Amino acid sequence: MTNEAIIQLKDIDVTFHNKGQTVEAVKKVSLTVNRGDIYGVVGYSGAGKSTLVRVINRLQKPTAGSVDVNGQDILALNSHDLREARTKIGMIFQHFNLMNSRTIADNVDYPLKGGKLSRTERKEKVAHLLDLVGLTEKATDYPAQLSGGQKQRVAIARALANDPEILISDEATSALDPKTTSAILELLKRLNKELGLTVVLITHEMEAVKEICNKVAVMEDGEIIECGDLVTIFSQPKQPLTKDFINTATQINQALEKIYRQASTLGLDDHHQLVQLQYVGATTDAPLITELYKRYEVVSNILYGNVEILQDTPLGNLIVVMTGEPDKLKAAWQYCQDAGITITHLKPKKPGVA
Amino acid sequence: MGWFAKYFPNAVTMKSDFIQATGETLYMTAITAIIAGILGMAIGIGLIVTQPGGILENRIIYNVLDKFVNLFRSIPFVILLAIIAPVTRIIVGTAIGTTAAIVPLVIGSAPFYARQIQNALAEVDHGVIEAAESVGSGPIAIIFRVYLKEGLADIIRSSVLTLISLIDLTAMAGAIGGGGLGNLAVNIGYNRFQTDVIFLAMLIILVIVFLIQLVGDWLARRVDHTA
Repeated sequence: MTNEAIIQLKDIDVTFHNKGQTVEAVKKVSLTVNRGDIYGVVGYSGAGKSTLVRVINRLQKPTAGSVDVNGQDILALNSHDLREARTKIGMIFQHFNLMNSRTIADNVDYPLKGGKLSRTERKEKVAHLLDLVGLTEKATDYPAQLSGGQKQRVAIARALANDPEILISDEATSALDPKTTSAILELLKRLNKELGLTVVLITHEMEAVKEICNKVAVMEDGEIIECGDLVTIFSQPKQPLTKDFINTATQINQALEKIYRQASTLGLDDHHQLVQLQYVGATTDAPLITELYKRYEVVSNILYGNVEILQDTPLGNLIVVMTGEPDKLKAAWQYCQDAGITITHLKPKKPGVA
Repeated sequence: MGWFAKYFPNAVTMKSDFIQATGETLYMTAITAIIAGILGMAIGIGLIVTQPGGILENRIIYNVLDKFVNLFRSIPFVILLAIIAPVTRIIVGTAIGTTAAIVPLVIGSAPFYARQIQNALAEVDHGVIEAAESVGSGPIAIIFRVYLKEGLADIIRSSVLTLISLIDLTAMAGAIGGGGLGNLAVNIGYNRFQTDVIFLAMLIILVIVFLIQLVGDWLARRVDHTA
């Protein structure tokens, strides 16, 4: 992975005027994607993610700002050069957008029509692309005969027909079931590795980002509120929305909800504290809990545990009830912090006050 | 053929008239279909691509086409026949006869077909158009390789509808001496109280309409892969 920027968006504004109403879909957004990145853009619907990435291939003209793709000023191109540039920016969509009147092979062949390749060369290319996405035997079928996951594979093959360097995935897995989603993400990751494809992945699911992205930007109300490399964002999220996304992805929110619901049974007081321990990297949990007991006679009762492997870096989360003398608990906390573990004291809301 | 002579006493003596009238109806229908087909298709595509949000959005062209289509669609055909007569005389040299009838027929059916085409193409998923744009397709490629290809089944269905309504119009064109089965039914059958002539003319028209519908449905089913 090099650090060469392939997509540079600077101060992008997109404003829609509709029946006297002005909607600022994207506000002063800057984003740099490096060659070989799988860059996730996360946010709830209406956050402006789709509008933002459509600026990359000028399917959406920005109101202000500059767009540089592969050293080309996309906004300065005439329509002919823009079409040429678009062949190098593949795009896949939530609803696949295949042509129902064409066979699978013909759909993949579509971007090659009117190009430089001969009929035989095109046939070979289509066969190769279908093989790449594992759909060789469906070549003569029509889209209506395929499952959602298969349709998205066809769409990926079509997007890759002109050997693009960039693939924009606009909620491409949002209409798919979890298993198919994983398979499609796996395919994107493979294409990223094998073809050196730069991927911009828009999604509202942090799970998808967690699985394949190396970088992530979080969008809210048309702005990027936080961005950076995946492990940093996951281990040290700053914005509440980012935390919310991550906690949903790691299922901590669901766990906390359950724990809070039965908080009274935990008997929390000065001697019993509910805490969340979070660690990044090689630190493991088992010795820590033993150490806490050995050194401070603090007993830790694990209520929930989760380890994510992000970009080969483990990210662990534990929710425990620590029991011990208040001053010993304090010391134990200090010990954890010295060991590079983020420790958060959780205070369940009283039932009914939520 | 005994039963035919029994039930169609007048028509049986008019074999050559019926053959000629059927030929005239088919002639008017075919020539009008070709000319109005090309015109209507062009206007329909024009409406789709220039409409707000279209691939060649152009408010002025869209409004002109839209008003033009609305204007000519709102004139009753019988009145159009009369109004258009001077124009017909300029184009064809005469305002009477089968060929002369083609001018008002084209003007009466092209706007109708344009609207049908516009509706058929509006059914093409906007996402598919966007996907085509994203792989670098230009307007011409999108019109021919996406709109006309994806909309083909609906285009065929609209064409059948237009053709059938066109046959309806050719019957009216008989009023200006356009000939055809409509002319035969009204000028001979109705005016001379020869009910069997009216009935046979109607039967022949029904058979033509039925065949067009049959072939059209079969074609549309063949090209439709949506389900």
